[in-house]
Parts: sequence; structure tokens; C-alpha cells
Amino acid sequence: MLKVENLESGYGSMQVLWQLHLEVNKGSITSLLGSNGVGKTTTLCTILGSVELWGGKITYEETDITHLPTHKKVDLGIVLVPEGRHLFVNMTTHENLTMGAYPKEAVKHMAESFELVYSLFPILKERAKQRAGSLSGGEQQMLTIARALMTKPKLIMFDEPSQGLAPKLVGEVFDAIKKMRSEIGLTILLVEQNVEASLNLSDYVYIMHEGRIKAEGSAEEIKGSRDIKEAYLGI
Amino acid sequence: MKINIAKYYPLIPVYAVYLTMFLVGFFVPGLWQLVALLAFYCALGQSWNIFMGMTGYVDFGYVTFIALGTYGMALGITYFSQFPGLGIAIIFIGLLLALFLSTLSAILEAGIALRLRGAYFAIACIGINEGLRHLIEGAKIWGGSEGMLYWKELTEVFGTETAIQLTTLWADIAVFIIAAMAAFINVYYMRSKIGYALTAIREDEDAAKVMGIDTTKYKTIAFLTSGWLGALVGAMAWGLKLTHVFPADVFVIHYTVECIVIVVLGGIGTLLGPLVGGLIYGLSKYWLAIILPGFQLLIFAPIIICIIIAFPEGVIGVVKRRVKGTRLERYII
Repeated sequence: MLKVENLESGYGSMQVLWQLHLEVNKGSITSLLGSNGVGKTTTLCTILGSVELWGGKITYEETDITHLPTHKKVDLGIVLVPEGRHLFVNMTTHENLTMGAYPKEAVKHMAESFELVYSLFPILKERAKQRAGSLSGGEQQMLTIARALMTKPKLIMFDEPSQGLAPKLVGEVFDAIKKMRSEIGLTILLVEQNVEASLNLSDYVYIMHEGRIKAEGSAEEIKGSRDIKEAYLGI
Repeated sequence: MKINIAKYYPLIPVYAVYLTMFLVGFFVPGLWQLVALLAFYCALGQSWNIFMGMTGYVDFGYVTFIALGTYGMALGITYFSQFPGLGIAIIFIGLLLALFLSTLSAILEAGIALRLRGAYFAIACIGINEGLRHLIEGAKIWGGSEGMLYWKELTEVFGTETAIQLTTLWADIAVFIIAAMAAFINVYYMRSKIGYALTAIREDEDAAKVMGIDTTKYKTIAFLTSGWLGALVGAMAWGLKLTHVFPADVFVIHYTVECIVIVVLGGIGTLLGPLVGGLIYGLSKYWLAIILPGFQLLIFAPIIICIIIAFPEGVIGVVKRRVKGTRLERYII
């Protein structure tokens, strides 16, 4: 569904990504793992276009989207759940979700999208009238995911959804991700530092190190390979 | 297309205030100049608010638009007075030139400054403003620092009688019309998809981007609209009314600061705010100048600081909170 070839990008004069390749199959959960500062977030942002791309090619559903602006990519059904939540804290839960349905297609399906996210995250329905800033950390993370779902995506990219959450909530978030694949049929690209949990969840895994893909394989293969785990994941 | 009238209810109090101001100025002798000054502040506040209030970007160089608007009118009258047959069309040419020049500067600012955020954006705007002023003075464009005087040209085309009418009455009335237009556009934006996009940008630009909002496009729309309205105010309230323009008088950051004070006093991002702020600011400035001439700024600064600490959301921000849930709610945004 998504194919990234020889991706290079960076900030200013500092190159972060080197010859990165990545493929996400339709209906799969693919994870991008690696320790801090190896370029995982940059990879997602470059795919979406919010970080400038230096070189390489990005194909989505057989079309070349390398040079499309971010908003066009969202229109095509790619969405990012950003790290650190980025909610509109002064707006209510309901308003945040409405904002999510910004693309034209999404406006048409707003009612069903609301139904969907409220069934996936019932707690958000209870909090509909509450200011997003007053929600708990876990609820905020769910709202960020729900808001992304409102754009009617086909491919959803998560940037560290478990960051800063209590272990119990991490489980809930990962359950929700699982449900998105099994019940809505979304394709998922997951960036995580929580290695164990993502290995259990994913079909295919890429290991990143210093801006490059150092290893890849099915989740089972990676789990079975002590070398990879020791060298790049520190476990 | 179905027009939803209820969307425009908040315009009722705004227009009621403008109408009252206009009638008071028109019928009470000696008050016209004061009312015109107030209308000028309200119109500027409202125009500036479209960009700053809705996107959260503080444009310190806003006065550039007002200044270039003034030059547009000056150029229109100076050069097209050779064709007296054009009559009143000369004023409209002046307005078009004002729009044209402000568009050019908006493109320049959008290209340079809108890529930046926060303080960097504000500083870049100041830089552009100062740069343009020194360009005009140094390269002796449009009369350089000696400016342009065009009262003679104006009287040649219209005759002294009409010229006086144009500068003392119609220029001020035009400011009222521009203020009314600015209010309408403000509501239109607030209640449309543009408004949603701009609010998202103000709250969190990165989030807005990943949700599929073309942030550059909407910022540019708001920036241009706000700049155009500022240029029109400049063209009328300075260009036509004063019939002269000097770079050292028009490219002055002081006016941007006045815009900020007006909008913050009244309530950032609200519709009524700039109007209320303009009235408070204009009236107190006028009043302080009478009772304590020379000390008005010294007194005014602490008053503003107190108001901002007591009502950080501005007067209308407080009122909005009070009327929430009552029948008045739909009239006040």
C-alpha cells in the first residue's frame, strides 16, 4: 500500500535519513522500531510531507505521492497521530473531533465517523463537552487517535502512542490499534519505543539505527533473533 | 446556495454601534472629528483582527499595509488628475492602487515572513516595514522623504468645494463602510471552513497540518484580506483625508502597536472586541489628551497594563463568558 524507496531527509544542513526503504502492506500492522534519535519520527513526518524531503520516492496505492503537499496526502487517506498529542486544548472533545473531519470526503461521512470513534473509545462520548486540556493523559491520547480517524484514513501512522502513559493505558491504546485493523480494516504503520508490545502486535518489523534501516523481518523472526535485539533494541 | 441568516446575527450589535456612532457624529455639532477617529481605530482593529485574532500570528509590520494604501491613493490622485474627465473614478483608481500595492507587499511578506513563527515572524515584519520606508526615502521613490502633496491636484479635478467635502466628509464615511465590510468578512470567515482552518492553525499549527489543512493557503487568505482592508483604511483615512503622505509619518510601528492594544483590550479573535477596544482606546486617548495634555501616554500605559491583567480575554471575552447559555449568546462572538 505504501512504498518508500531511498528516502533521504533532514533538518537544515543535518541529514537524518539515509537511503531508507520501507513497505507497508495493505491491512497489515508494520512497526518501525529503534532507540531514541534514530529518525523514526522524521521518517513519518517526511512521508507525510511536514518535514522536507531531500530525495527518494514515496508510492501510495500505486501512485507517486513523493511531492504532494501534506494536505493532499491526508485527502488521499494517509494520516499521522502525532507524538505528544497536539490536541486543541481549548476546544471540547467534540470540537476536536469535528476539526478532524476537515477533508471534503471526511465531512460527508462525519456522522458515521463519530459513531465509529465513540464505539471504539466510549469514554470520549462521556467527555464530549469537556475541554480537551482537562482530559487525563490516556483520554487525550485516545482523543488524538480518534481525531485522526475522523479524517477517514486508509493508512494511519502512529508516532509513539504509548509515550507517557501508565502501563494499563498502554494496553488499552494497543488494543485500540488492534481493533482498528481487525474491525475497520485500516493499515497501520507504528513507530514505538515499547519494543515488546509492538513486536506482539505487528506483522512486520523494521529496525532503524542512525537514520538507516538495519534489519527487517516478520515479528516472529525479529523476536527470535537475539543479535538484532541486542544490537539495536538494547534488550 | 442556501444562506444561513442566523450565522450573521452577531453583526446586529456591531452595525448598531456603528450606526449610532455615525448618527451621533453627523447630528451633534463638533463631534464628527472624534467619531471619525474612533471609526478609524475600530476599522483598523477589525481588519488587523482578521489575521492576528484568527491565526495567532502577531504582525508587527501591519502598518506597512496602511502606509502602502495611503501611497496608492496618493499616486491615484497625483497621476490620474491629468485626466479630469475621470471624475470620481480617480478615487476608485486610488483604491485599486492601494489594493495592488498591498498585494505586492503581502506577497513579499508571505514569501519571507509567513514561513517563520512567533517572534521571528514579528521581527521579520518589522524589518520589511522599515526596509520599505528606507527604500522609498533612499531611492527617492514617490518623492522620497519629501513625500507627496496633492491637494492642488484634487481641487483641479473636483473644484475646491467638492474637494473639501471629499476630504472632510466622504473619506470618513468610507472608513465606516470599510469597518462594516471588515466586520462582515470577519463573521463570514469565522462561520465558514476558513474559520475552522484558521482556528486550528492558531491552536496548534502542526496538528492542523497533519489533519489535512493546507495551512499556507489559509494563512495567506487571512493575511491578504487583513492587509487589503488595512490598505483601504489607509487610502481613505490618511490618503484622501490628509491629501499628503510622508514616509516618516506612515511607516510608523506605533500604529501597529495601537492595533494590538485595541484588539487585546476588546478581545482577541472576537468580532465585537476590536470595536469595543477601538472605542475604549480612542475615547480614553481623546479624553486624557484634554484633561491631562502631555501626560496621556504616561497615564494610559498603566491603565492598559491593569486592564490586561484583570481581563486577559478582553472585554468581549468576559462578556462572552457571562452571556453563555442565555439568549444573547448568538449575538455576541
